[in-house]
Amino acid sequence: MKARYILSIVLVSLGLIAAILPQNQNSSLELDAKQLLNEIQVENYVISIDEMANAMINDDPEYQLIDVRSKEEYEKFSLPGAMNIPFDQLFNEEWAPYIDQVARKNVFYCNGTTLASDAWMLTRQKGYKNNYILKGGLNNWYTTIIEPDEPTLTNGQEAMYDYQARLGAKQFFTGAGAADNSSNKKKAKKPVPRRKKKMVAGGCS
Amino acid sequence: MGPIIPLFEISEEINLLIAFLIGLGFGIALEQAGFSSSRKLAGMFYGYDTTVLKVFFTASIVAMLGLVFLNDLGMIDMSIVYVNDYYIASAIIGGVIMGGGFIIGGFCPGTSVCAAAIGKIDAMYFVGGSLIGILIFGQTYPLWEKLHFAQHIGPVKLSDTLGVKDGLLGLIVIIAALLMFWIGEMAEKRFKREDISKEL
Repeated sequence: MKARYILSIVLVSLGLIAAILPQNQNSSLELDAKQLLNEIQVENYVISIDEMANAMINDDPEYQLIDVRSKEEYEKFSLPGAMNIPFDQLFNEEWAPYIDQVARKNVFYCNGTTLASDAWMLTRQKGYKNNYILKGGLNNWYTTIIEPDEPTLTNGQEAMYDYQARLGAKQFFTGAGAADNSSNKKKAKKPVPRRKKKMVAGGCS
Repeated sequence: MGPIIPLFEISEEINLLIAFLIGLGFGIALEQAGFSSSRKLAGMFYGYDTTVLKVFFTASIVAMLGLVFLNDLGMIDMSIVYVNDYYIASAIIGGVIMGGGFIIGGFCPGTSVCAAAIGKIDAMYFVGGSLIGILIFGQTYPLWEKLHFAQHIGPVKLSDTLGVKDGLLGLIVIIAALLMFWIGEMAEKRFKREDISKEL
């Protein structure tokens, strides 16, 4: 009988402790500052321009470009295939399925890197995976793909290969051999030729 | 912190192996508690043996205290702990059927498998009956589907419904359980039956 008393007292005191404890809200998915710092140092959250251009040329469905600039800027110019999630709407419900997913690599970009890095940091802190940054943003895109620097002889063969690939990419994105380098013009849609109306046949002509 | 074993980061086989080991442990615990005897299980209804009440309430108190303390130590994320959805109609109807089957057959689904494993013939019939029941339910499911999902409240916790902290609810449950244990033991003395297990 004595064991029953002891057990009862132990259980009630454990219950009392449990009742006194503040109820923490833990969240295992969100990263703390230290973990985030670690991730930033490892730097495997950036995607280089060359890698992205290659993926775009090959129509790789693994990558989804996300333009985090404002809607106006997006409409003025955006990379082909990019979707627009303005930075201030990042955590809107409607975008949740796009930024919190496991199927694709989201690549954030803006003009430089500030907005994209902020977007990456915020989503990563929330514990979302598969978000990346386009290295250098659109400015880097322009200097790498649209106006690539010709490597000098001392740069080695690899730089030459890169340069060739970039020239190819430039052709792809701006039109073959076009003298005008501006990529700001969206590719005009191919007009669908309308069928000419047939003349009314028959009658008494 | 977080889940010890993230469900989607281990292979299906390992996942099933872990489930198998947990199931084995559950079976051993049931057998150790004497739950493979339907006399013991039915005793709960007649009042001469309240082991069922004590074992299951102790188990839930241990699990409950464990969750409360682990949460406080920052070792578990309660927001991703799975909580069953609550369907009022299904819970009541299912509870009545389960209780009826329990007192008629002398087993509950888990203990029947346990008893069948140690060779009790009545338990084997019970398991067969359960399987037939599952087959009938499965084949006539469209008839019950509406009832099944009626009055859905979602994954609610008692503490949220009552508006108290998890820990405080824990204390209430512990006190209630201890009261039931004492009353149960009093009932055991009042409705005592002779031990006939040696004659069987």
